[in-house]
Amino acid sequence: MGHRKIRNLVLAGLMAAGTMALSGTADAAGASDAMLANTCAGCHGTNGVSGGPAIPSIAGMKKEILFSMMQQFKDQSRPSTIMGRIAKGYSEGELHQIAAFFEKQKWVNTTAATDAAMAAKGAKLHKSKKCKGCHEENGATQDSEENMFRMAGQWPGSLYLMMKNYQAHDYPNAPKKMIKRLKKLSDADLHALANFYASQK
Amino acid sequence: MANLTRRTFIQAAGGVAAVGLIGAAPRDAAAAKAKVVVLGGGYGGAIAAKYIRMADPTIDVTMIEQDHNYYSCPLSNAVIGGFRDINVQKHSWAKAASKHGYKVIHDTATLIDPKKKVVKLAGGKSVPYDRIVVSPGVSYKYGDIEGHSKKISETVIPHAWKAGPQTVMLRKQLEAMKDGGTVIIVPPKNPFRCPPGPYERVSLIAYYLKHHKPKSKILILDPKNKFSKKGLFEGGWKKHYGYGTGKSLMEWLPADGGGKVVSIQPGSTMGATVVAGDMEDEHQGDVVNIIPNQEAGKIAIDSGLADKSGWCPVDKKTFESKLHKGVHVIGDASIATKMPKSGYAANSQGKVVANAVVAMLHGKDPGTASYVNTCYSFLTPTHGISVAAVYKLKGGVISKVKGSGGLSPGDASDEFKAQEAQYNESWYGSIMSDMFA
Ligand SMILES: Cc1cc2nc3c(=O)[nH]c(=O)nc-3n(C[C@H](O)[C@H](O)[C@H](O)COP(=O)(O)OP(=O)(O)OC[C@H]3O[C@@H](n4cnc5c(N)ncnc54)[C@H](O)[C@@H]3O)c2cc1C
Ligand code: HEC
Ligand code: HEC
Repeated sequence: MGHRKIRNLVLAGLMAAGTMALSGTADAAGASDAMLANTCAGCHGTNGVSGGPAIPSIAGMKKEILFSMMQQFKDQSRPSTIMGRIAKGYSEGELHQIAAFFEKQKWVNTTAATDAAMAAKGAKLHKSKKCKGCHEENGATQDSEENMFRMAGQWPGSLYLMMKNYQAHDYPNAPKKMIKRLKKLSDADLHALANFYASQK
Repeated sequence: MANLTRRTFIQAAGGVAAVGLIGAAPRDAAAAKAKVVVLGGGYGGAIAAKYIRMADPTIDVTMIEQDHNYYSCPLSNAVIGGFRDINVQKHSWAKAASKHGYKVIHDTATLIDPKKKVVKLAGGKSVPYDRIVVSPGVSYKYGDIEGHSKKISETVIPHAWKAGPQTVMLRKQLEAMKDGGTVIIVPPKNPFRCPPGPYERVSLIAYYLKHHKPKSKILILDPKNKFSKKGLFEGGWKKHYGYGTGKSLMEWLPADGGGKVVSIQPGSTMGATVVAGDMEDEHQGDVVNIIPNQEAGKIAIDSGLADKSGWCPVDKKTFESKLHKGVHVIGDASIATKMPKSGYAANSQGKVVANAVVAMLHGKDPGTASYVNTCYSFLTPTHGISVAAVYKLKGGVISKVKGSGGLSPGDASDEFKAQEAQYNESWYGSIMSDMFA
């Protein structure tokens, strides 16, 4: 998996840079972590717990994931409607601070009602389409090496849009295996999966 | 160095919600009993009260709010367009107040006395404070148009620029109007609350007319020659409502094209004859929506917090009034330079002021501020647009960080537009939970 290795190398570099930014005093004159992160709360909710239904919760996201997602929004390698425009407002150092803040926040499951029949269908797809191999524990795991955030308890509206976007747009950093599998799924399948992951705790 | 101490402390605390602002700094005895009053529980005030308590739960916070329920203006144009229930706009403070431990007094503040540091209430009480955060929104200058008055706005010509009964009244008037009728919308002069708001309203009334009263028309009589997100609005109007063709559902008369309204003669239950332009042309409106010119909320004006412009000059780092010490003004009422008068801006300022108030009560410097604004608007229920910016303070001006923000692309796909409409709804969900949970 050459793809994976290269990304790990890049990540190691980013993490080194991150450590420097955080441990150094270079940002001492800048805004505090909370001051910066609180600017996100109007859309992502207090401490990153979204009020839903379509903007994702980001509370508890591992800092490496959040930082690299923001960098990808910034350089547009991650498609977005608005995050690209927002991410460009923060320096690398600030993004490290924001990422450190959200990592410390507690994940809270969505309050959205989920459809039991759809969730059951989603559970089957999760196994049969081999999402399970990477998204372990019914989507509750995060993988900071692969930028994979948790899906269990996420807003279903948000999960659905993410999968639609993986189908429709180019995500150079996402695993090709996943994209290939997602592209074969119908709209109803995506709704079923979204209901399944959202219903997990 | 102070910064490092704070951060180390936060890490030690391993905190959840309490990791806010500078709250983790050690407290001094004087600050422990500090009293903060937050005047107004809207987009600015609800946030200031909550975030002060999140940062330092020893501070005694009292909110003074005249209403028992808050009706959100954002997304209220969808109620007028007929695809959203007014009850979805309705909120109350009880949950957030008990969770975060601030008090709410439901009464109207009549005067802030910055010398004695008390707020006087219509009910007769005086509430003392060490620092007060004022976020009263706007008040309306009915007198700018002859024949208009507060009473007319409550009975015949709703402005619906504060959500609630007038939002419902405007919706009912549209329902009562015959097919083939004319709706006249009169946007205000700059500056005013929610620059894209009148044009979103035009879009959503057009959406209703297109599907239910297609022979009708909207006439926009504007005192300005341009408006917020104009290109995106006009693009949407062309796409959905025939704008620019003979069949257009709307016509826009700018200031230079006879748009300046001089006077009105209101009907008995709805509508009016509207006189506009240098030639004093008469326009007959079956439904008329005048959004009056605005200035800072009355309490801010009465308490001497506004300058000649009618708005409140503040220090942009702390939002402390330049006219009265110990008083902070945020939201629509404040002069926040490049930040527009929007709900998101008021939310962002609520956090900046919370941080500043807590720091100042502890005798500390508030540090660097960071601000954001985003305004979503609907062109139809499935076509959303947005404008965003991230700001920093530069030489006393809240300036856009270079390269950040901007408008939705003009050539966005239908899928993009549909997602922005969903994100508009979701922004609302999150910002309401930020205020009321
Ligand atoms: C139709 C419309 C659509 C909008 N859409 C958007 C949008 O999509 N996005 C966006 O960001 N913004 C939008 N806005 C703008 C947004 O509503 C305002 O910018 C925001 O409400 C400003 O917050 P504020 O705290 O300054 O005032 P408000 O939210 O109005 O809060 C003021 C509060 O103070 C209380 N108060 C006032 N005086 C007193 C007194 N003397 N005593 C006691 N209480 C008092 C009031 O009752 C009120 O609850 C829209 C506005 C309108 C009208
Ligand atoms: C105006 C609303 C808005 C603001 C402000 C905002 N976001 Fe977002 N965020 C979104 C939307 C909408 C998405 C979905 C992607 C898109 O279309 O832009 C998103 C997606 C994300 C994601 C991807 C989550 C995932 O699981 O894939 C992250 C991470 C994120 N935002 C972080 C932030 C941070 C950090 C901030 C503050 C610096 C912020 N956002 C501010 C609206 C916002
Ligand atoms: C090869 C491992 C792998 C497989 C198989 C896989 N995924 Fe993923 N998934 C990932 C990674 C890695 C990411 C983060 C990718 C990125 O950068 O956007 C991700 C992200 C996601 C996200 C977005 C989460 C977020 O908050 O950003 C969704 C939704 C998702 N996957 C659903 C699925 C579904 C459904 C399947 C099965 C059809 C699947 N995945 C199969 C590895 C995998």
